Amino acid sequence: MSTVTRAADRIESVPFLDRGDASLLLVLPGLFVFSAFMLFPVLYLVGISVTNADPANLFAGEGVVGVLTFGDAAFVGLRNYADVLTDPQFWNSFGVTWLFVATSVTLKIGASLAIALVVTSDLVRGKRLLRALIIFPMGLPPIFTITVWRGIFSSAQFGLMNQLLSAVGFGSVAWLSGRWTAFVAYNVTEAWLAYPFMVIITVSALQDVPEELHEAAVVDGAGFLARFAHITLPSIKRPVLFASILTSAASFQQFLIPYVFNQGGPARANELIVVYGYREALAFQEYGRGAAISIVALAFIGAFMWLNVKKGRLADGVSD
Amino acid sequence: MLFDAVARKLAGDAKTIAATPARTLRNWTYTVRAVRRGELPASAVLKVVLSTIGATLVVLALLFPIYWILTAALSGSGSSLYTSESFTLFPAEPTLKPFVWVVGDLILPSYTVSAGIPFTDLAVVFQTPGLELLDASEFGVDRPSEFKRFLWNSLTVAVPTVLIAMSLIVPAAYALSRREFLFRRKILFVYVLMTQVGGGLGVALLIGMYALYVQFGINDNKLALAVYYAATAVPFNTWLLKTYMDGIPVSYEEAAVVDGAPPWRVVTEVIIPMSTAGLATVFIFVFLTGWTEFVVAQTLLGTENYTLPVGLYALVDEYSIPWARFSAFALTFASPVMLAYLFAQRYIEGGLSFSGMEG
Repeated sequence: MSTVTRAADRIESVPFLDRGDASLLLVLPGLFVFSAFMLFPVLYLVGISVTNADPANLFAGEGVVGVLTFGDAAFVGLRNYADVLTDPQFWNSFGVTWLFVATSVTLKIGASLAIALVVTSDLVRGKRLLRALIIFPMGLPPIFTITVWRGIFSSAQFGLMNQLLSAVGFGSVAWLSGRWTAFVAYNVTEAWLAYPFMVIITVSALQDVPEELHEAAVVDGAGFLARFAHITLPSIKRPVLFASILTSAASFQQFLIPYVFNQGGPARANELIVVYGYREALAFQEYGRGAAISIVALAFIGAFMWLNVKKGRLADGVSD
Repeated sequence: MLFDAVARKLAGDAKTIAATPARTLRNWTYTVRAVRRGELPASAVLKVVLSTIGATLVVLALLFPIYWILTAALSGSGSSLYTSESFTLFPAEPTLKPFVWVVGDLILPSYTVSAGIPFTDLAVVFQTPGLELLDASEFGVDRPSEFKRFLWNSLTVAVPTVLIAMSLIVPAAYALSRREFLFRRKILFVYVLMTQVGGGLGVALLIGMYALYVQFGINDNKLALAVYYAATAVPFNTWLLKTYMDGIPVSYEEAAVVDGAPPWRVVTEVIIPMSTAGLATVFIFVFLTGWTEFVVAQTLLGTENYTLPVGLYALVDEYSIPWARFSAFALTFASPVMLAYLFAQRYIEGGLSFSGMEG
């Protein structure tokens, strides 16, 4: 602490800082480490994206100089970006990603709202226990959950989903080898992964809805649907919107589900954008292209978040 | 100090759980009597019972995949992942053999230790006793899994992650919660945004990171990986702990200051003891970051250094892996996480309710 105090005295002598700003020193180490592992790779990625880097030329250099000059990789300007943006494969991936965001977020919000209403209902006893059980999947490692779901959608006759289908009289489906069946499988799995987070937020929002409003509405003769539309929804709109923004960002960047299920297949049809960039770089050894794709993805997610922050007034929340 | 509080909490939980059946029974008899006396219409009770059953069914359906994997692990059938037998609600012949395959031999071999006595030619030689906890071959398991090696790798990644991350997070959370300084709001804002964007960003950045790590020759280094995990854990956990500390009334610190406590004592005697629950939650979260992360570990680490998630995924890729063994491996990997999570659940719920976001 004494070093901090000494540093504080020194900071005080800087004209435009006051003594309280010394507390910034407590935050800086974390911020610095975080930036070193987040911002620096971003810059490096931008660098790679304007070269023709591949494993042979990128790692040719020696030491720090080699790192900063990207080995023997040559500067190619914006060629990678031009290549990527004229590649139908990219536009397919781009479209599938947004479609996935739209369908999975809709599914997540719908399912979570329904679940949250069930476990906060006045008619249900033992709600605390049910709530504790229901958000349990959140505590499971994603790689565990996703590999289990891959088993559920296993193409064999005895995958759990196929057993369920045959129990109600349908034939078995080769889930992960058809484009749209695989897409459905992604959505279901993503919804299952994300519902605990959404349910927690929705439940706590539902509990903040004033009971008197509901009672007054019941006295006025409003039915369940009317109360839901005019009392519940307006009261929980803000937290649910906030959760939806965060979860749609998560959907946009979904990597593990397509990667573990079938590597974004069949035949690269379902490569969500992050998987596309990853595979282009590390499976097909096109570092420059992969970097360009990742930068485009980052730009979109950045713009999306920025827009939501402005529109959804997320920034208000931080002002404690 | 911290462990005392945790133990007290656990004891409280145990008491509540033990008392639950009695309390439930009392409530039921009370309800039944009320219906008999005609104070409570039977239809209302029936409605509650039916809704509760319905809600329970919804919850059970949602958790069914976990149950399914558990029965698969206990069934011990030799069938592979893609030709597994038809599902039954209870395994016909439950066996723990797959778990034995996962854990493998637990044998502490006896070592010979010799210590020379200085200034003499004499040496003391003694043998440590061997300890045989579990011999896999007794259960008919010839080639047990590499679980123990993965476990060791995971531990050597997760423990440094926790140490590094906690030393970054705790001071920052305190400062963000209690002090006013330059850029405070901006930093908080960035952290809140990063809580959700962080994970996927990591994958997008992976190409750049991979290239950098290879260039610096630290791509197969567990400590370097731990530093990376700690860095990614900073935004969310700092914010979470800050939110928790916001809930501690400032008056406690003021009282300590009035009593003449120096700043560092205010922190060690007031802030740290009062935020044990928050610290425990953050501790678990940070540990889980290192314990469960897959993509970066798989890209950066060599086969020798594979952590548990990477080892698990390697099993899926082997088409010949028996389903039961895979399930047992997966459950053994996930169970400590589940336990930690069950304990931390209430704090996680509190932390995620965004109570700090509204104010």
